[in-house]
Amino acid sequence: MSRSRYSTMATQELQSAIYELADAVDVNELYQQNGWTDGLPIVPPTEERVREFLDAAGLAPMDIIGVESVRQRPISAEKAAINAVMAGCLPNYMPVVVSVLRAMCVAEYNVHGSTASTGGSAPFIVVNGPIRTTLGMNATHGVLGNGNRANATIGRAIRLVLINVLGCIPGQIDRSTLGHPGKLTFCLAEDEEDSPWIPLAQERGVPAGASAVTVMAAEAPRQVMNEWTHDPEEIAETIAAEIRHNMLTYSVWAGNYALIIAKQLRDLFVAAGWHKHDIREYVYRSARVLRRDWATVGKGNIVARGGGPDQEFTALRSPDDLLVIAAGGPAGGFAAVVPPWYGAKSLAVTQVIGPAQGDQ
Amino acid sequence: MSVRVLDPTVDTAPAKAGATTRLKSLAGRTIGLLDNGKINVRPLLDHMDMILRSQYGVRDVVRLRKPDFSRPAPAPVLAAMQGCDAVISAVGD
Repeated sequence: MSRSRYSTMATQELQSAIYELADAVDVNELYQQNGWTDGLPIVPPTEERVREFLDAAGLAPMDIIGVESVRQRPISAEKAAINAVMAGCLPNYMPVVVSVLRAMCVAEYNVHGSTASTGGSAPFIVVNGPIRTTLGMNATHGVLGNGNRANATIGRAIRLVLINVLGCIPGQIDRSTLGHPGKLTFCLAEDEEDSPWIPLAQERGVPAGASAVTVMAAEAPRQVMNEWTHDPEEIAETIAAEIRHNMLTYSVWAGNYALIIAKQLRDLFVAAGWHKHDIREYVYRSARVLRRDWATVGKGNIVARGGGPDQEFTALRSPDDLLVIAAGGPAGGFAAVVPPWYGAKSLAVTQVIGPAQGDQ
Repeated sequence: MSVRVLDPTVDTAPAKAGATTRLKSLAGRTIGLLDNGKINVRPLLDHMDMILRSQYGVRDVVRLRKPDFSRPAPAPVLAAMQGCDAVISAVGD
């Protein structure tokens, strides 16, 4: 029904090669055999469906969403739409998918480095603003897990674009040693309705009432639990301890960490009068290790290097490096730390969802 | 009834890329050694520097360095490569 608004766009020819097959089962078999999936079945990307997705984003097939700058690979709207259809998205998810890809093509995100690295990171996506409710996204029960179509397929669409458009195939451009389950999909919405805190996107400069995505190259989430206190400093210390552990056992370099705080612990922080910035300040002060601490985790050989045993490392370059997100189910004293791929070599990028500059 | 579907991939071979002509000999040549910034690359390239001069008769070795191994070489480093007959890019993980 909105086609007429995009009549010029709709008339631009789709450029991709076409395959004609008997049915959806045969389509899936062909795409699986060609390595065009993440291993899970796909939805057939028909011309009609792809056009619906382009229309929903207000894009023409050959519009360039962004360019991966190292290998000079443009991501066209048509290829993004094809992969979003395959992932199982609905057409109205497409503006979110496009915004995530735009964010990942910002230089600070370092999309090539973070997707090619042996470190095996995944794009961690946080959605803010009214589009969360329009799309029915999940911000509560099992928010880092399965169960919600938009959460699952938006993240998956990004992975399929990485595979099919940027060649991030394991063992080829993607050199991940282990990877982690978030490489299938790693997307959530913030629980803005059930939190008095300022939503992540607004903290990062997006006007209230606008929808936005924040994307970060991230390692697997590390879940923590503290149900034995109401003291906000003790809860924050449990979180800081997990970050210190990540610094010692995985990577010491400072950068963006994300912190997902579920309802029970959130309520305790709120009752104590803590806002997100109080948590950031606490973690900035406490998430620090000394080079000598490496001896406690089997890395004694590097204690004498660099600045010597008393050299201090901080997890965050400043308190603002910590992305605090209100999300998760109502019961259980849980939070999750989402560590960065590799310090500040990739930085979180926030992108408003909507028409790009120059569109229309 | 059949279903018509679209190819999700792009041609992965960049249009302008191709293999360059191989040098027949390294003797008298200028060879660049690109340090990508990884922790063990320097001793590796020091050794290559030595054997290129002593065993292959290389005239000059130009030592180049990327400030960040996960980003492209900056323009001044690329410009410095222009004076080389060949460049070896090393990993040194």
